[in-house]
Amino acid sequence: MTVVTSHMSGPTRSRAALPWVTTVSRLVLAAVLIIAGWGKIGAPVLSVEAVKAYQLLPESVATAVGYGLPILEIVVGILLVVGLLTRVAGIVSALLMLAFVIGIASAWARGLRIDCGCFGGGGQLAAGESPTYLIDILRDFGLFALGVIIAWFPPGRLALDSVLGLTPGRESDEYDDDPESDDELGEGKDD
Amino acid sequence: MGKEAREARERMKAQREAERERERKKRIATIATTVVVAAGAIGAGWWFAAQSSEPEQATTALAPVTRAADGTIVMAKPGVEKPVVDVYEDFQCPACKSLEETSAATLKNLAAEGRAKVVFHTVTIFGKETGVLHANSVRAAAAARCVPAGPAWVTFHDKLFEEQPAEGSEGFAIDDLIAWGEDAGVTDPDFAACVRSQQHAAAYLADSDKELAAAKLEHTPTVKLNGTELVNEPFNPSALRQAVLDAAK
Repeated sequence: MTVVTSHMSGPTRSRAALPWVTTVSRLVLAAVLIIAGWGKIGAPVLSVEAVKAYQLLPESVATAVGYGLPILEIVVGILLVVGLLTRVAGIVSALLMLAFVIGIASAWARGLRIDCGCFGGGGQLAAGESPTYLIDILRDFGLFALGVIIAWFPPGRLALDSVLGLTPGRESDEYDDDPESDDELGEGKDD
Repeated sequence: MGKEAREARERMKAQREAERERERKKRIATIATTVVVAAGAIGAGWWFAAQSSEPEQATTALAPVTRAADGTIVMAKPGVEKPVVDVYEDFQCPACKSLEETSAATLKNLAAEGRAKVVFHTVTIFGKETGVLHANSVRAAAAARCVPAGPAWVTFHDKLFEEQPAEGSEGFAIDDLIAWGEDAGVTDPDFAACVRSQQHAAAYLADSDKELAAAKLEHTPTVKLNGTELVNEPFNPSALRQAVLDAAK
């Protein structure tokens, strides 16, 4: 019988905390995606308008994106919350965020005065309002990073992928709770 | 090592293989189901979005169109005082153009059916610092004031949104405005001079500022039903119609 010591080496500890990092990333990214999708889905016409305001896509494509983006965000958000197809959902959300970063940066570079339309509304700004491009880009870049983490280290804890056995070769054993788990929770922040 | 032990090991190996194969099939089935459900949800949402944005067909006859003292245009059947639909819009605002494309027919129909009093408030939401946006907006709105209230005003109003200049480019040229007014059926001989001299520009801007302050407008278009702002309904014709019908109850 092996004796489990209470001292874990650094790398082991961070590896044990990693699934939780993925889980937190999933929840944060999912919350933003669902809020953003929900804000837009009530008025698809405005969503289309917000896409057109970027003046990047041909009209018909902009219309399709405007109609489809809100529901896509919500569906990907739900997949992230429950941890289903986690890697795919992570990749899709990372790509979405990358596209948003490029779109906003391009609008900024071209001197457009638009609201990013990220959470609904969008389009041209009224008098006295100024664009918040830098904040939008930093936020979306941070979210992009979360998407990369999720795609790299899926599915994290509390994921349906593990329950349903969708993580070949790594289910059960790797993420099984071990006697150290309480210890991890207390020390995870130190890493 | 004995033969029996080897056989036992091989049996176990075969069992594990079979087990792994079952797992694999189950995994594929689960993934496929999830992908189909997710894709179906996205498709349904997309279809619903496109469907809910489909405009109504405008019926032929408009309700009477009159101009109030404050410059607003009222479209209502005689005696219809409520529910009141206030539409605040800027001729240069792209989202207002979207509103027009989506729901103008619904508003016309509701007024023509005697189910609502529709009030158009033309405002200039773009401040002076926006340069050409502001100038376009004011030029068009001042010209609209030269158009007598009536079906011609509505036609002119629709035409302005149809011809809305692309963002940041100059448009609504005086000559075009005059031509569109005449096409809309304006016969007043003073019309061209009125547009050319921008006779109503100052009065219009004063009214616009008053409207912006009084209605506490944060964005255009703003649509209010009996004084309460409708957020998403204006961009969804059937929801807009339903909201107005519910308000009449």
